[in-house]
Amino acid sequence: MLEKYFTQLEASLKAKLEAKATARRKFVYEIARIGTRIFDDNWSIGWTTVFVPYEILTSMGVSGMFVEFFGAMLAGTGMSSKYLELSESKGFSTDSCSYHRTIIGAALDGLLPEPDVLIGASIPCNGGVKALKRIGEIFNKEVFILNIPIDITPKSVDYLTEQFEQMIEYIENETGRKLDYNKLKNSIRYNNEAREYLVELNKLCMNVPSPANSNDLKNFIMIVLLLGTKESVEVAKLYRDEFKSRIEHDLKGATEEKYRLMWIQNRIQFKTDILSILEEKYGAKIVIDELNHIWWDSMDESDPLRSLAKRIITHPLVGPAERRLEVITQLARDYKIDGAINPAHWGCRQSAGARVLFKDALQKIGIPLIHLDVDCVDERNYAQGQIMTRLEAFLEMLSTY
Amino acid sequence: MCSYTPLELIYAGGFLPYRIIGHSEPPQNADSYIHSNFCQFVKSTIDVAINGGYNFLEGVVFVNSCDAMRRLHDVWKRYVPTKFMHILDIPMGTLSLGKHYLKEEFNKLRIALENYASITINDQDIVNAIELLNESRLLYNQLNSLRTENPPKITATELMNLTSNFFKTDPKNWNEKTKGLLDKINTYPNVQTRSNNPRVLLSGSPLHEINFISFIEDIGLNVVYEDLCTGSKFFDLIINDSKDILGSLSEAYLNRTPCARMMKLKERADQIYKNAKKFKVDGIIHHSLKFCDTYLYDVPALKALLTEKGLNVLFIESDGGLGNINQIRTRIEAFSEIIKN
Ligand code: SF4
Ligand code: SF4
Repeated sequence: MLEKYFTQLEASLKAKLEAKATARRKFVYEIARIGTRIFDDNWSIGWTTVFVPYEILTSMGVSGMFVEFFGAMLAGTGMSSKYLELSESKGFSTDSCSYHRTIIGAALDGLLPEPDVLIGASIPCNGGVKALKRIGEIFNKEVFILNIPIDITPKSVDYLTEQFEQMIEYIENETGRKLDYNKLKNSIRYNNEAREYLVELNKLCMNVPSPANSNDLKNFIMIVLLLGTKESVEVAKLYRDEFKSRIEHDLKGATEEKYRLMWIQNRIQFKTDILSILEEKYGAKIVIDELNHIWWDSMDESDPLRSLAKRIITHPLVGPAERRLEVITQLARDYKIDGAINPAHWGCRQSAGARVLFKDALQKIGIPLIHLDVDCVDERNYAQGQIMTRLEAFLEMLSTY
Repeated sequence: MCSYTPLELIYAGGFLPYRIIGHSEPPQNADSYIHSNFCQFVKSTIDVAINGGYNFLEGVVFVNSCDAMRRLHDVWKRYVPTKFMHILDIPMGTLSLGKHYLKEEFNKLRIALENYASITINDQDIVNAIELLNESRLLYNQLNSLRTENPPKITATELMNLTSNFFKTDPKNWNEKTKGLLDKINTYPNVQTRSNNPRVLLSGSPLHEINFISFIEDIGLNVVYEDLCTGSKFFDLIINDSKDILGSLSEAYLNRTPCARMMKLKERADQIYKNAKKFKVDGIIHHSLKFCDTYLYDVPALKALLTEKGLNVLFIESDGGLGNINQIRTRIEAFSEIIKN
């Protein structure tokens, strides 16, 4: 069923892309191709959490897919409720993260193709590793756990690099596929190329008004699945070109902009038009998603594993919240935002626990923040009317701020 | 706070380890500092801290044990003025690399304590502390083994009181007192008549309310082992002397009976099974604190593993306090009936 879904999705996106090549279309198409790839016998399959280095997996012929992506995708197609109910009926708590509960339900229901490897990283959340463990049990497979050290020191980088080496061994043992070092080095080159464009396209969005519309970069974090490939370079370049051209052509194609907003963590994944309403009716636009920030430096092609280790260790979500707060504050300044929205996804301990700190950090630089308190994946209790009223009140407050 | 904190280093640095365990009352101000969907432990801890209840402490050592604890650390750091703060990163899973890393982490704590107090913690100080705390664990385990008998010679409430005192007393004094208690029980083995009630092992999220255990005992069950990081499991650790003392210390902590955050569910289930046999239990009560992902995510799989091993298990979830405890009374009573037969 899933295979059919992805194949059809890929075909229809391809047709659209051929009719008119936009950056967004190309991005979604490439992600859909990764969806189809998990049914391709030429690849091994790896279920992972979000921040594992796909460059290594891809260079080994393993098609990596993060579980949170699946939770999001199933919510987007309106199918998450079914799987949430299923996992709940098996005893999974309704208080835990619904991204995870959805994928566990889907795995229990036999929707997921069997993984060859399972790799979980200790960031952004422990729940992700737990969810992967439960999926591993369904398929009777061990999970490889990456412990991401919380201090940024050369020793931490060594430690994670050694873990990568063991991870490669684990993948080799499970799949019989060897790592092709040249491929990995190439992937670092692609990474650096894509990174340049990504930094540039983000800079373009600092322009007032921004060339990007609220949904142009929605869920752009999924680009991590493509990093290290030529497709990632193509996607990033297309976005850069598109934004550049919008700016050069008096922002033709960009919506009107009265308020510039930052979105914290993930978007709401099920179908809702709140952001379009905000944009069209009130001129309130998401100009930056926190998770779209490019935090890492250009990488060293001759030392791929250490470079990748450094990239993960320096992620703003690793360790104490301070780094994340610094990034959020910096983004608020760079993108000259008027306000910030934090969905405060129910069940996300790592993020909800910092909600007061987010507000506090932004308040210090005079930026108001609103917590929506929604569940981004579980639409069963979603009350759009209430959320809309609160957002309208928030915008009204911004207008007098 | 967390049972993976190497008390030996703190003691060797001339500090008294004091374990923060929160409380079971409804939190007053916690919601303004941390989300309401956090476990009672984190909520009550921040509650007390914000109100100055921990001001008597010189410092706090946190552990990167779960998402909730990480945020507790951050919120504490921002809102509670504290002289010394440190966060330990404890690896999870089974990779052998973790041992070396943890040793480094312990060394960082040692240096941080040294710098803070302008002292030197040498290996001998650590060895001395290890000896002292090994003795505490030995004493506890001697008392604990009195529970293998039927009826148990000591109640869970008595032992939980002892544990709770351990968390706030100088181990030297605690050891002396506990020795006295052991002598007393050995001399007068039948001071109190205990009943032949069904025997249960209590597992799950940390519990901070002794009365919670008394409550189970009052229902008519003998709790004979607490597979809790605030109960018997806490003392299930022995550190070997060696030339590489930090190495021994980190190895012992890393390999201690795993709690749910270590992601070693099978080992955890095996350990529960082993203790269930050793303490001849009739059933297991697994309690998860509400919002404690660490334990809640394990529930379905643990249920399957333990049932497979032929154990009777009751899974309950609550905030660990006494407020709504009557809601679980009927379930425990019904369970008690089942395991009686
Ligand atoms: S929303 Fe939070 S708990 Fe859920 S997957 Fe993301 S980081 Fe983890
Ligand atoms: S492990 Fe559970 S009880 Fe302990 S701090 Fe984390 S959420 Fe709370």
